Amino acid sequence: MSAPGKSRWADEDPETEALVAQQKREKEAKKRAKAERQRKLEEEAEASKAAEAQKQQDDALDGQEQQQQQQQQQQQQQQQQPPAKRRRLSNDQSTAATTATPAEAEQQQKRSELLRFPMREWGPCRHVDNFERLNHIEEGSYGWVSRAKDITSGEVVALKKLKMENSPDGFPVTGLREIQTLLEARHQNVVYLREVVIGNKVDDVFLVMDFLEHDLKTLLDDMREPFLPSEIKTLLSQILSGLDFLHSQWIMHRDLKSSNLLLNNRGEIKIADFGMARYYGDPPPQLTQLVVTLWYRSPELLLGAEKYGTEVDMWSIGCIFGELLTKEPLLQGKNEVDQVSKIFALTGPPTQQTWPGFRSLPNAKSLKLPSTSSASSGIPPLLPRTKFPFLTNAGLHLLSSLLALNPSSRPSTQECLSHPYFREDPRPKPKEMFPTFPSKAGMEKRRRRATPEAPKRGQEAPQLDFAGVFGGAPGGDTGEAGAGFTLRFG
Amino acid sequence: MAPSSVAGMKQLSNALATPDQLSNSSSFIDGVSPNLEASIRFAGAQLTQAAGVLLRLSQDVIAQAIVTFTRFWIGSEGGSLRIYSVKDVSAAALYLTAKLSFQPTSPRSVLNVYAFLLSKDASPLWFINPQGAPEKPSPQSYYLSEGGYQTERTVLLRIESIILRALGFDTHVALPHAIALTYLQTLGVQSPSVARRVFEHLNSALLSPQLLYVTHQPNALAVAAIYLASREEGVKLVDEEWWQVFDVDREELGFLVVGMRSMEGFARAEREKWKGRTVPMVVDEVEAEVERDRMMEEGE
Repeated sequence: MSAPGKSRWADEDPETEALVAQQKREKEAKKRAKAERQRKLEEEAEASKAAEAQKQQDDALDGQEQQQQQQQQQQQQQQQQPPAKRRRLSNDQSTAATTATPAEAEQQQKRSELLRFPMREWGPCRHVDNFERLNHIEEGSYGWVSRAKDITSGEVVALKKLKMENSPDGFPVTGLREIQTLLEARHQNVVYLREVVIGNKVDDVFLVMDFLEHDLKTLLDDMREPFLPSEIKTLLSQILSGLDFLHSQWIMHRDLKSSNLLLNNRGEIKIADFGMARYYGDPPPQLTQLVVTLWYRSPELLLGAEKYGTEVDMWSIGCIFGELLTKEPLLQGKNEVDQVSKIFALTGPPTQQTWPGFRSLPNAKSLKLPSTSSASSGIPPLLPRTKFPFLTNAGLHLLSSLLALNPSSRPSTQECLSHPYFREDPRPKPKEMFPTFPSKAGMEKRRRRATPEAPKRGQEAPQLDFAGVFGGAPGGDTGEAGAGFTLRFG
Repeated sequence: MAPSSVAGMKQLSNALATPDQLSNSSSFIDGVSPNLEASIRFAGAQLTQAAGVLLRLSQDVIAQAIVTFTRFWIGSEGGSLRIYSVKDVSAAALYLTAKLSFQPTSPRSVLNVYAFLLSKDASPLWFINPQGAPEKPSPQSYYLSEGGYQTERTVLLRIESIILRALGFDTHVALPHAIALTYLQTLGVQSPSVARRVFEHLNSALLSPQLLYVTHQPNALAVAAIYLASREEGVKLVDEEWWQVFDVDREELGFLVVGMRSMEGFARAEREKWKGRTVPMVVDEVEAEVERDRMMEEGE
């Protein structure tokens, strides 16, 4: 180190200056020599790898074995750690990898002495005429989506027009948040926003996103049988890792549902439609309760909680998990009151043990619960097994914890991802093995679906009377739910 | 670096101006001299800061608004001072940033505040009201009439859209302030006076004619402010080249320190240059100033 503590611009001594320069030159030369050596090593490794591959092909391995090896290779690449003991179990190709890995690591160390941020720029929006519209896909609550082709690159994309209700506050904040969060949320399980383009009018704003062939809702509607357990695990763990990334970036999605999950023909699922998403903070900012489509809305939102957090997304994940298992939306309430009664019919009513303090929520005042709160097994109680006959114990445990009435009993995305459910047999199916389906969005206009829409922004939060949840005077249709409920507790 | 960790860095980094954008501003192409542009941008940033304070927005919202304001004028495809009025862009940038923050504000409040700050009689700002504000300005001098409000609101919302389009809807601005505090803790600096000085440097750097916030990443700004503040406050930092730990090299640090140090002189020179005159805040005033510059040149 030259002249520690002093900075170069402060220090005008030509001697030290020269010394520094010389040291720098020496260092430079060393670096070059190293790089040269490095390159040679890599070349050798590359060559031996190629030879290896050639040999393997000659040996005419059957398809499956090749697949396995590919996976192993991928794993090794992903880990990028010094070779572990486990490596030795695998066959010859590891020799190539082992020579490459430590060298690679060394080089990386050298290069990342100073972290350089990714170069990003800004520039004005392009015009929507750079895209040729192919077909309409759907009309959602926040705008319509169509399939389009980039005229210059020929790539097929999804084009979503933002709805601009003539708001007195200028550009709708929901649209701004959608763009802001999508630009921030770069993850393989979040739909990729390529750019924002504009039309001729001030109100014409389009999001250009990667096109995916399916949405989960339409797919489930068209399938004869639900997904296999291994496929459900693949899908759910991908959704969870996408959501985990969002939550780690302080983004709440607030409208997770099967129709907002997009699937491509390579077994990848991505979270889409950030029309309700926003940043949250600690302490949490003022939030609207009018979020999440009714069927996927958590009990604390229904009971009018003014403070809520990422747990509302976890509840929706629970609903989606249930939907993947049964192919049908889990809790199809007709209105808020009916939704609450359907929830309680599934989970059992809240008690002071399972959800301390739920009584103080604004809409819980009118809630009349059956006085007998019988033996609930554990906190949160397990859901009735009869409802999900093909689910393992671990699976049922995960589902029950996601659908815990008490938000603080729900697991975080991290906890879900490390749940035994994903490690027990059957294992998640590799993405490459995922079945493919004919795409509706690809060519035909889809029929409108029966899922209710996300709540509209700016509406008043309804004052709900839940007196009728357990049979009785006002409110929704309670007969069915009440009956199911009596059966459990009777 | 694994791509995943770089993706996580997005929160901490900014989009920066390209060399091309820096060498060509839309205003310059339209015949506004770089000096005049720098003066107007400097005044506009100060206007934004003052309005943010009056609107009781927190400094992070204000700082983000100033960065957005600054970005808007950069590059040949940015906004031109002969097309858009500085005051409108300042107001719209502030309104837009607040809207996306945890402290949204209404067009009414924003326009009331700007009416006050732009009033030639009541404004406390030196570049709008050079003779200084009276002790108790009469409310009539900064009253925004209903008709005036409607017109101004339309302009505000229009400029908001124009800013968004010019920036490709990328409203993300990462600030160095919180990063600087973390670095101070890492360096074991306890002194509140250093922390305060760091923030002072970071906030003045927002007004820099060298556009420090759109040419350097927040971590570098934080390091430079810490370097300068600890020297000024006489607090000794570790003997090693600690800035490398925070991914800043000597050259960059040196440049930023010089840039931050020059702010005081620049601000004083600006006041001297515009002594007794107002800095143009609307397109017509810019036109007049450009004309005046031309006449002066011809006269020489």
